[in-house]
Amino acid sequence: MTAKPKVYALSTCPYCKRTRRFLDDHKIAYDCIEVDLLDDPKQDEVLDEIEKLTGRRSFPVVIIGKEIIVGHDETKLRKALGL
Amino acid sequence: MSAGTTQERVYCPVCQAKFRLNEKWKAGDIVVCPICGQKLKLEKTPEGWAGSRPNKGDEKEIRDRVDEYARIKGYVFNDMKEELIQGLLGKARRFGDFYCPCRMEHVPEFMCPCKPTRGGDVDKLGKCYCGLYWKKT
Repeated sequence: MTAKPKVYALSTCPYCKRTRRFLDDHKIAYDCIEVDLLDDPKQDEVLDEIEKLTGRRSFPVVIIGKEIIVGHDETKLRKALGL
Repeated sequence: MSAGTTQERVYCPVCQAKFRLNEKWKAGDIVVCPICGQKLKLEKTPEGWAGSRPNKGDEKEIRDRVDEYARIKGYVFNDMKEELIQGLLGKARRFGDFYCPCRMEHVPEFMCPCKPTRGGDVDKLGKCYCGLYWKKT
């Protein structure tokens, strides 16, 4: 695995929190963007990016290499991270 | 028309719909909106009957609403309930009201219980968008 995983999350979403907790518990370094806390222009840009990647606006979105995981899914996270 | 009701209706500021006024009700009474479960204080306004939110934005308001709505509809919760309530409280703190914690949009139709939920999503899909309300199995 080369690039650091990237997490798109909502600050109020408990499933996003679970995903982040999972990564923290497994000592995985990642970048996280809390989309709802961005200012409007940046938020539009990021939402467009998420829609292009996933076809919807659902959270969390985790990008691990070429893998895109939508929703909190520990099985998929483990597989993508080789845990 | 059933006994104890009138043709007059009460406007609910949460679900933005009107429900039938019971003729025994009077201004100042606390009633529960049968559509969204919100507790409302009845007020007679020049435009007609309306309900105000006695504990607007308080933790008690959303906890009561969520429990009342589930009771009215016969829905149940799972172990995510408390985390989702915390998410709703976060929405109120940051965005001014109890919008769905799993949605980006802070608009009235996504105030909990959101419009798709009130429209029957739980009965159709087994749960609401964020997984707070579940159909009893």
